[in-house]
Amino acid sequence: MKLFTRYFRINLIATLSIFLLAGIAFYYVLWFLMIRQVDEDLRIEQREIETYAAKYQRPPEPVNVKDQRISFEISPNSERLHRFSTIQSPDRNERENFRQLSFTLPVGGQWILFKVSKSLEATEHMNRSVIIVTVLTLMAILLVNILINRWQLRRLWQPFYSTLHGVRQFKLGKKEIPQFGKTGIDEFNQLNETMDNFIRDADKEYYLLKEFTENASHELQTPLAVVRSTLDVLAQDETMQEKQSNALQTAYGAIQKMAKLNQSLLLLSKIENRQFAETSLINFEKLIGEKMSEWQELWQGRNLTVRSETQPVFVMMNPYLAEIMLNNLLGNAARHAAEGTEINIQLKEEILSVSNYGQNGPLDPDKLFKRFSKGGQSSDQNGLGLSIIRQIAEVSGSWVSYEWESGRHYFKIRFK
Amino acid sequence: MQEPAARFSIATEFTFTFVRYGQRRDIFNLLVMKVLIIEDEKALADSIAAYLSSEQYVCEIAYNYTSARVKVSDYDYACIVLDINLPDGSGLNLLKELKSEHKEDGVLIISARNSLDDRLDGLNKGADDYLIKPFHLSELAARVSAIIRRKSFGGNNLLQFENLQLNITDKTVKVNERIIDLTRKEYDLLLYFISNKNKVINKGAIAEHLWGDSMDMADSYDFIYTHIKNLRKKLIQAGSRDYLKSVYGLGYKFTERP
Repeated sequence: MKLFTRYFRINLIATLSIFLLAGIAFYYVLWFLMIRQVDEDLRIEQREIETYAAKYQRPPEPVNVKDQRISFEISPNSERLHRFSTIQSPDRNERENFRQLSFTLPVGGQWILFKVSKSLEATEHMNRSVIIVTVLTLMAILLVNILINRWQLRRLWQPFYSTLHGVRQFKLGKKEIPQFGKTGIDEFNQLNETMDNFIRDADKEYYLLKEFTENASHELQTPLAVVRSTLDVLAQDETMQEKQSNALQTAYGAIQKMAKLNQSLLLLSKIENRQFAETSLINFEKLIGEKMSEWQELWQGRNLTVRSETQPVFVMMNPYLAEIMLNNLLGNAARHAAEGTEINIQLKEEILSVSNYGQNGPLDPDKLFKRFSKGGQSSDQNGLGLSIIRQIAEVSGSWVSYEWESGRHYFKIRFK
Repeated sequence: MQEPAARFSIATEFTFTFVRYGQRRDIFNLLVMKVLIIEDEKALADSIAAYLSSEQYVCEIAYNYTSARVKVSDYDYACIVLDINLPDGSGLNLLKELKSEHKEDGVLIISARNSLDDRLDGLNKGADDYLIKPFHLSELAARVSAIIRRKSFGGNNLLQFENLQLNITDKTVKVNERIIDLTRKEYDLLLYFISNKNKVINKGAIAEHLWGDSMDMADSYDFIYTHIKNLRKKLIQAGSRDYLKSVYGLGYKFTERP
């Protein structure tokens, strides 16, 4: 729930209930006051009747006008009575309320019961109008209040939203650090300051770590070169026996692996650094064709059948990265395919899918793309190939996924 | 004048023969090909010198920028193997100086930095080639000899090894004056072997040379064996001697010695 929504909900409930209560109270107060006014009129009428009766010793002739009726009769009780009541219209056809004052008066030695009633129609009408005007006014106030609040709140919270936007745009490893401006509000200033420090620290740590990886890899290149060249010189020794020669080859193999590992780590950090920024339109169908003829003999050597089904798909991305991605995808499939099985390449509708037969069931997709996670038993691989694929997908705006379907591993790249 | 910091055996034999159509070069140009190795990592510099010197090259070594500058300005080299990161200066400055003095020395940059920018920077400043550490010495030797071939003889040239004749421009091979039909990979392989003659070349180096980065596709080097077998068969069928020797588990050696 948004802060605004939450606030408005509370605000609305409170305002509405106050207005409702106030409206009800207002209605009754108003009604009470008006009835009192009517009662006052009735009393005036009573006084007039009393004056008349005292003067002439007989009740006045009842003059009935539209909204006022006077009637009198001999009272059954000889005592003083003075009572107000609200009654229905005596006339059945009219649905009209009347306020009635009943009082007794001794006239010429006889108790006469007078009933003076006044129509409440006008009063009710007025009351209704007042209530309607009031309710409308309250509604208008409520609406204006909501609008003002909303606008004000939005304005007040503006710094918060711009900070949020800035933080959301921020990504570790991207060069820009969001700028949090000064606001007139202490809390937001504190928030911005904290966010700024936090992001700068994280960024610094990230770069230190990356720099470390990069430097470590670069520093390793020279000793690797020394070892390899020393082995190359050593291999020239003509007196070498088979045993030494085998030992030498073991060392060659290990150095080869290490050089490859180092190269992959450097590549990963370079992709992360977005050092492959230039893009061009890559014809993936053509690229796949090239790769297939390039690797034909490597596949044949392992008795692998490679089938491809491609449509022209063009993608904007860095050509070097496109090639590495394809190399790693195909290499991965070939490496893990058992001898004599089939590799399928499919390229259509912006999706490149490479699949191979897998003997050991599905792989764990959570671990698969992590660095140094080795899917299988092969220790020849450094477990960076798939991380590189994912990193490339990430920087070139595509999506890589793994699926297991009827005994085959599928790696899919979805180009956007 | 300063004495060379290190001098390895002068090439005594001369079986590499460069022939330019219609014109013979000064024999000394052909015999003594001086290579300067500028590399601060002593062990690496010494290995390179040891490997190259036993070929037809004379190697000199400079372990730092200062001594490299003196050497470069005093002598002409057929090729300079140049490390970019030197403790007392940048190899690129040396390259710039070389170019501003209109020296014709070929330059092969060796660097730990493998980025397109660094590579382009080096090549734009006038380097002839760029090799990334860690490299195989056989690869270095192949690059050096390619640079020297280009520098010394212009475009159109022939490379002779015993009764084999390689036309570098057309990428054709003649055995006893008869063209033999080689695939691209077999031709590359032959050129690589001749550039590293009498050397044991590791099979990993061969794989890397032929397939580049995609060579780790295959778990074994069996696929190299197929190419080598075919090349050897074609050469022998055309009447050449069998120059190729397999060296235990290590790799191969191309040699005219029996």
